[in-house]
Amino acid sequence: MAGWTIRLDGGDAANKPLPDKALIGGKGLSIARMAALGLTVPPAFVITTRACGAYQACGDFPDGLSAEIAEGIAWLEQTTGRRYGAGPSPLLVSVRSGAAISMPGMMDTVLNMGITSETEAALGAECGDPAFARDTHRRFHELYAAIVLKADAGDLSPDGDPADWAAQVERAAGIPIPGDPVDRLHAAVRAVFDSWNARRAKRYRKHHDIPDDLGTAVTIQAMVFGNLGKTSGTGVLFSRNPISGERTPFGEYLACAQGEDVVSGRFTPQPLDAMRARAPGAYTALLEASDTLETAGGDVQDIEFTVQDGTLFLLQSRAAKRAPAAAVRFAVDMVDEGLIDRQTALSRVSADQIRSLLAPRLSEETASAAIVAARGEAACPGIGIGTVVTDTDEAERRAAAGEDIILARATTSPEDLHGMIVARAVVTEQGGATSHAAVVSRALGVPCVVGCGYGAVTALAAETMTVDGSAGAIYQGALPVEDPDEATLSDLRVLTEWADALSPLRVVAPEALDEDGQGDLLDLNRIDGGEDPGRLPALLNGARVATGGALSTDAGIKAALHAGLKVVVGRPRLPLLLAAFNAGKPPEDRETVAVSASA
Amino acid sequence: MMTDAQLALHGLAIKKHGRAAEVAEITALDAATVERLLDAAVQSGRAVKTGDKYMLTPTAQIALKASYSRDFAAQRADDAMSAAYDDFERINEQLKSLITRWQTIEVGGRSLPNDHSDKAHDDRIIDRLGDLHERAEPILARLAAGLGRLSVYHTLLTAALEKAEDGDIAWVSDAKCASYHTVWFELHEDLIRILGRTRIE
Repeated sequence: MAGWTIRLDGGDAANKPLPDKALIGGKGLSIARMAALGLTVPPAFVITTRACGAYQACGDFPDGLSAEIAEGIAWLEQTTGRRYGAGPSPLLVSVRSGAAISMPGMMDTVLNMGITSETEAALGAECGDPAFARDTHRRFHELYAAIVLKADAGDLSPDGDPADWAAQVERAAGIPIPGDPVDRLHAAVRAVFDSWNARRAKRYRKHHDIPDDLGTAVTIQAMVFGNLGKTSGTGVLFSRNPISGERTPFGEYLACAQGEDVVSGRFTPQPLDAMRARAPGAYTALLEASDTLETAGGDVQDIEFTVQDGTLFLLQSRAAKRAPAAAVRFAVDMVDEGLIDRQTALSRVSADQIRSLLAPRLSEETASAAIVAARGEAACPGIGIGTVVTDTDEAERRAAAGEDIILARATTSPEDLHGMIVARAVVTEQGGATSHAAVVSRALGVPCVVGCGYGAVTALAAETMTVDGSAGAIYQGALPVEDPDEATLSDLRVLTEWADALSPLRVVAPEALDEDGQGDLLDLNRIDGGEDPGRLPALLNGARVATGGALSTDAGIKAALHAGLKVVVGRPRLPLLLAAFNAGKPPEDRETVAVSASA
Repeated sequence: MMTDAQLALHGLAIKKHGRAAEVAEITALDAATVERLLDAAVQSGRAVKTGDKYMLTPTAQIALKASYSRDFAAQRADDAMSAAYDDFERINEQLKSLITRWQTIEVGGRSLPNDHSDKAHDDRIIDRLGDLHERAEPILARLAAGLGRLSVYHTLLTAALEKAEDGDIAWVSDAKCASYHTVWFELHEDLIRILGRTRIE
């Protein structure tokens, strides 16, 4: 063997070192790590970055690479008991790029390689769902066209047949999709290698001083099927609850379904108990894997999995996205459990997350006693109270005069931007989460409720209303707003104590400032340009104690630290402490414990 | 064909409330010229100036729109431009859902504001934005073939994308800078005015 490929078998993984990331890329390494933890992943092999280098040097596959790809496929066939490009149990594979350092412009994943009219029929018979097999075939055409051929073939009609799709792709691309699945595989591998020299990738490397000769690896992985009968399924598991932060696994399961079904909304996911009932062995294995992955990753994991004929396959595991409340709870609990140290805990909570937890809100009693004037889709969180105005220019004029305004429109367009900027809240009658009003309000941080229905909000003109952008509700009148107190929330008190000890900047509440400090205090709110972080070094000019202005932002705190500021006066204190603690630290490499082919 | 004076007013109509330099940026006029033209518009009552920002008066807006059918007669008669616009609309839908994925994240089935604490997520969306940009480029070229000054949007979009790729994430969708989304929306607005289309929400 010339050694262009490496198998990620994890067989006796515990006894041998992981392959070099420089050789197999970040994604390949993730699969190898999962396998090394003794977890079941769909089998995969990697074409190394060395092969990419040889390809770049000679403009073609180096000698022996085609043969090794064939051997790799044969090994996947043998491991899975399926055949690439043939029935009765066809092997489908995914092809993905993966350099040691991730960068933009690299080729995206191609799924369902190996599907042809023949294997479509076999797959349809095998899973008892010919429509699924047909749709898989259609999605293959779309992905192959977009990713390998870089052609904009548009959407392919679900009512069409493979000949129509192939013709539509050929019209857009100028060349046909090869008929032979092996040729397709080779073309996809070439497309990955070629994407190393994509314009965006080259520019990114140049800008970040990344050598041009590192090259990318190619991971070829067997796909598993969650729709092969009632002991199959697919789902997502969080090792802890990502909303509340509770230490209980939280997940969703779809019995007899393939990964796309979860995303497509074609089926309603069930709680994990459904999995326990139908595939108890896989369920137990999943909870064990969840613990293993969380301990190995040192962070709460978001795990994608598929159960094929009762066997659990882990597709991907990565640090979980989390709601602000969960971020705080995870950080405190994981220190208590001895999984992470205090520094790591603080680095995982951002100032903005704390600010959002402490943002003004309506108490439950207030909200339940209030009269709902309109309801719609929650588009941007926050409370806004003011007089409803339906004309954008009027809104701008009245806000400039110091009035609190709620801008109510049937829909918004760029012509309304000036009114949206000054409004306390924006409400619309038509449009959903991707409407102009929703997108722009979020960019501005203005509370927003969209899609309240024809006539529902413009009818409220001239009335005083309270908009709750998190609840998607518009209430009559100006409701009392509650400011959560950082000192009364126990997890926040713990974090504050740690941050006080570890932050490079002291933060004191205004009422705690002694007379000495008062004398030294520089109030940036009273200085021209004090809200611009870029001007802080000049404005602080050796000051020791300061408050206000740009110090309310992370960028301002960072600039102040560089300028040698010692004490910031402000509240809530925790966001300021966290901003100082995290200033200048690179974001933690929450590199995925494992990425693999999500089917 | 528009005169520079009309073009400055047209650019201000797109910016709605903007500085001379900002209007210059999207119209490809130079900033000093725009300032002179907008100051003249203030003199003749077609615009008002507060601080360093200008705004068209309501009558000037109506007059501007009324002249579009003549100003843009060539573009409105150009089938290739119309076809390019239809393709732009298709990508516009993709951009809106991508920006939504940038702004909100799914956590355990719930939609939350993206607090940008997950760099891998952000990098992935920026990479998708780059893909979208590459799909948009031939369309932008076709639009610029119908009206040369539109090529400036390609330059601005590329600049915003590259700043975002280099880690300055405000350049994805921040409403207060010439972010990718801001420029895209202005281009959309420009095209709607040029071709006399209506916005689909």
